[in-house]
Amino acid sequence: MDFSWNYRFGIIILGDSFVGKSSLLQRYTEGMFDKSRQSPLGIDFKVKHLEFEPGILIKLLLWDTAGQERFKSISRSYMRNSVGCLLVFDLTKRQTFERLRDWYNEVIDYVKPSKMVFILIGHKCDLEEEQEVSKEEAERLAKELGITHYVEASAKDNLNVDSAFESLTMEIYELFHAGRIPIREGWYGLSVGVPVDLYNPDEPKTEKSGCC
Amino acid sequence: MARNGLRADSQNLRGTNENLSERESSSIGSDSEINGFTTEKQTDKYGFIGGAQQHTEESAQDVPPEVVREREVKWLDMLNSWDKWMAKRHKKIKLRCQKGIPPSLRGRAWLYLSGGKVKLEQNHGKFQELDSKPGDPKWLDVIEKDLHRQFPFHEMFVSRGGHGQQDLYRVLKAYTLYRPEEGYCQAQAPIAAVLLMHMPAEEAFWGLVQICEKYLPGYYSAGLEAIQLDGEILFALLRRISTVAYKHLKKHKIDPVLYMTEWFMCAFSRTLPWASVLRVWDMFFCEGVKIIFRVGLVLLKNMLGSSDKLKVCQGLYETMELLRTVEPRYMQEGFLMREIIELQVSERDIEKEHLVQLKRWKETHGELRCKSPPRMHGARAIMIADPPTHKDLLQAPTIIVEPPLEDASSKQKKKGKNKREPPSNPTTETLSPAHPPSPTLQKDTPLQQSNQSLSSSSTEQDTYL
Repeated sequence: MDFSWNYRFGIIILGDSFVGKSSLLQRYTEGMFDKSRQSPLGIDFKVKHLEFEPGILIKLLLWDTAGQERFKSISRSYMRNSVGCLLVFDLTKRQTFERLRDWYNEVIDYVKPSKMVFILIGHKCDLEEEQEVSKEEAERLAKELGITHYVEASAKDNLNVDSAFESLTMEIYELFHAGRIPIREGWYGLSVGVPVDLYNPDEPKTEKSGCC
Repeated sequence: MARNGLRADSQNLRGTNENLSERESSSIGSDSEINGFTTEKQTDKYGFIGGAQQHTEESAQDVPPEVVREREVKWLDMLNSWDKWMAKRHKKIKLRCQKGIPPSLRGRAWLYLSGGKVKLEQNHGKFQELDSKPGDPKWLDVIEKDLHRQFPFHEMFVSRGGHGQQDLYRVLKAYTLYRPEEGYCQAQAPIAAVLLMHMPAEEAFWGLVQICEKYLPGYYSAGLEAIQLDGEILFALLRRISTVAYKHLKKHKIDPVLYMTEWFMCAFSRTLPWASVLRVWDMFFCEGVKIIFRVGLVLLKNMLGSSDKLKVCQGLYETMELLRTVEPRYMQEGFLMREIIELQVSERDIEKEHLVQLKRWKETHGELRCKSPPRMHGARAIMIADPPTHKDLLQAPTIIVEPPLEDASSKQKKKGKNKREPPSNPTTETLSPAHPPSPTLQKDTPLQQSNQSLSSSSTEQDTYL
């Protein structure tokens, strides 16, 4: 499959072990849920193409990460090449919520001076009775950290998964157009591909279209 | 897409499995057989259901049965006087590991090569002691959640709470008790799982200990410094092996940990087709980490080694996409083995580069946080550092091999009197490596040296392939 994309966003998904990062990603990119998949060690990534306005194709490169503490030193390498971050916690494990601030600070520290756009995700909302974190509380934290969206999602029941990824993409897109995300040489977080007005699916015009 | 379908299917099957395995608490054979799994799904010769690991079928080379048979005899002979072979004919062992260890003896050979056998003998009862302790909940929680995520399409690990997963739990838990300061690293689970496919839990535990402490020291420790350091070493070695690939990765600032972490931490067990995994591990146990480096270098060289190939991946993400899905032809057993054996990268090259990179690391990161023991480059180095007694190397049960028929009869006449093996004592080989031989068999086994056993008149008992 070859695509000519107009924009490409690098997106990273972070959070403690077993909050369901890989499941969210798998649900979004493959439309399925498989609780027995192998956990990523180090780095894995998936690709998704998104056309959210007619004629504007965005390619998302989604980095999956190992959540275990000791893998953090490695996750840093790909934080640098992302513009967006899904910060995930498990609604049924309070501890994973309490660690969000650390994750957030770590990312901010590491990507400086680049911009990182966050979305906060309370995962496993299908387990309604086991929830240990309220919506109000999570929203309060999002506000405090300056995160625009908080979404409660479930990869298992396919609740709000697509919309979470799309909200983040939309926000990055809008911030970019408002000039709030500068592009620097050698930074791969956000790239501009085929110019939008020249884009013609039958006749790709630039070199970059060679690889999907 | 076919793979997706398969996953969904086995999910349903797993549902039935869970119910059934509760009733089958003391069963024999693999979990999948118990549950009638095999009748619904094809299991390949490695135990993967539906051929879930990377095009295994078309990647494997077929060795004719008579050759396998010959190799088994040779390996049994070597195992019977392991210390002598290691001391005097190490090159031959290396060559035979390169050709591939016969499947029936692979688990045992790995245990001997790694020094796990010696550790086990010198620490009798240690595993049982660790196994009976409760363990730190901090690690147990993570281990438990990881159990069903290791090779979920291998018949041994397919059912929740089945034999494979139970043993995996025991081995990983025992390690956290053995090295409480290290704890559990998620990358240890696939390593332990591969070992368990070839040997019982106690042996797998010592195999894991050897990998974590001798072959890949520091890989699984907090901070993961050793793996990052090896990433730098790999990258530096690539410069000589493929300048084109090296320049490309450098130009796009592609950090080695981005592509080599899983390769190295899992010793390629999640990357290659299964036939190739086993052959790589055969050599890895014999020759040490240089094999892992060579596999990495071969893959990088083939994937990124010409300007043609690089035209389509101008950028970090394009390159990562290319590296993520290695073309099957580069991982094909025959091709990969030839390339690994031919590639000129020695222990000295690695050690030399290690010093360079360590110095650089200290300049940029400061002192290493985890002091790991020195790396042992393969079976011989381990044996020299940890010399075994002859008793440590005795096989249990001992396998007696009869020489080819025509001279067997003449030798029988000559050596009849020296016969030490009572004919009434059939030393049988257990069929599944996952089930240990019964203790009585181990006890009754006569202690023999290989030259005696080779000329012994009792019939060959090692009958499965």
